[in-house]
Amino acid sequence: MSFVVARRGFLAGLSLAALASSAALAHGPSRQKVTETIEIAAPAEKIWAIVGNFQDLSWLPPVAKTEATGDNTPDKATRHITLKNGGEIDELLTKYDAKDFTLAYRIEKVDVKILPVNNYSSTITVKPQGDKSVVEWKGAFYRGYPNNDPPPELSDEAGIKAVSDLYKAGLSSLKAKVEGK
Amino acid sequence: MICRSAISITISCRRAARAALLGLAVASPAAADEAFVTNQGSGDLTIVDLATMAPAATLPIGGKPAGVAVSTDGARAYVTSPEGKYLSVIDTRARRVLRKIPLEGGPLGLAVAPDGGRVYVADMYEQRLFAVDPESGVVATAKVGVTPSGVAVTPDGKTILVAIRDANKIAFVDAASFEKRGELDVGRHPFGVTIDAKGERAYAANVESDDVSVIDLSTRRVIATVKVGKRPYCVALAQGRGFVTDQYAEAVSVFDLSSFAPVAQVKVGEYPEGIGASRDGKTIYVANWFTNEFWSIAADSLKVIAKAKTGDGPRAFGAFIRAMN
Repeated sequence: MSFVVARRGFLAGLSLAALASSAALAHGPSRQKVTETIEIAAPAEKIWAIVGNFQDLSWLPPVAKTEATGDNTPDKATRHITLKNGGEIDELLTKYDAKDFTLAYRIEKVDVKILPVNNYSSTITVKPQGDKSVVEWKGAFYRGYPNNDPPPELSDEAGIKAVSDLYKAGLSSLKAKVEGK
Repeated sequence: MICRSAISITISCRRAARAALLGLAVASPAAADEAFVTNQGSGDLTIVDLATMAPAATLPIGGKPAGVAVSTDGARAYVTSPEGKYLSVIDTRARRVLRKIPLEGGPLGLAVAPDGGRVYVADMYEQRLFAVDPESGVVATAKVGVTPSGVAVTPDGKTILVAIRDANKIAFVDAASFEKRGELDVGRHPFGVTIDAKGERAYAANVESDDVSVIDLSTRRVIATVKVGKRPYCVALAQGRGFVTDQYAEAVSVFDLSSFAPVAQVKVGEYPEGIGASRDGKTIYVANWFTNEFWSIAADSLKVIAKAKTGDGPRAFGAFIRAMN
């Protein structure tokens, strides 16, 4: 699981307090992107009924609890996520289009120990394809280390791996849930 | 080869991609105005022929290239590599990297002096601006403020403006003494800075406050703050209008430069970043970072004209257009 990978990397021993406090202000020079997709044997409406509810992230394996407000209203809806490993993430819904089965959100607050990224924004889209659908999950973010010469745990590569692993795990779990396997 | 419809775009881009693979130039080098598009993910530079909107060549750069600035005479393009810590000097006619000048820190935003004698490069980590002689390297360093980002030079070459992102300011650097001689509060996290052709006004795109600060350069005061879309990055000027890339809105916000009233929001690709205007002011060019495309838009009708494929993660942060005279 991506969160575990990110955490384990962190035991390498870094001065984290300083990093966490500066993360909101600064970020590295090179934004990264990740796109993962999965085909699910179900109509888009059925999948959207799950991923289209910003208030409930229980379909994502590492999530223990979602506390949310603001329904599915962009720039109002927020959610506070508690992970099974104790990590916490605050997110804000930024776009919502039920007609096109797409929503976008960004992370307002996360410790790089939990997810080694900064300035993270993401889009989930369900694309109908006949009697099946393709779910696409895209993320854009900067690495966890806001300065030059990052340690490996907070490098571009570490950020890409953590996000990519999260998306893959999330999408395969979603597929299993929707297809009832 | 001019892309006027969805079908011809596809054909043109495929043909161009094939030509690029074979190492052939689609058009004869340096025959038309060109764009120098930095691809941060793939670590190279796509040169786009603006007459045909077809990629004409790809130059390997390395070091996560981001910033770009073409000299006024069009002979040189300069590209920053913040991870590689160098400035690449490119002969635009020969489409060749002449040399790489090592720079400490994280070189990102840059601008070329109008006479071509200096390249001003911001180090986003160490609060400084370098004055670089394109032949010999760094000749002076000025302390400007925390996380210097976009850089622009007034047309008379006397003043350099630097967006001091994390201090929410624009710094004014005197080119002759190469010292900071003032600063001005703008919106939150200014990134791109653009100066108009007459040197009367500057426009700073404020990423976190979703607006543009309009600065009168004679009084050094903010005369207007224009609300735009989410996460504005850079501003281009043409036909009495300002064009602003809104990264999170997948759009270009257009506003009137006299009334500062909004004109329209044009839908573009995902995470638009660098933006520039053709020298005749008829066309606006936008690099779409997530979708790896370089678009042209008519500045008057606001219709999308054509789309060119780029490398991965096009940023084109800076004055990326080479106008042939």
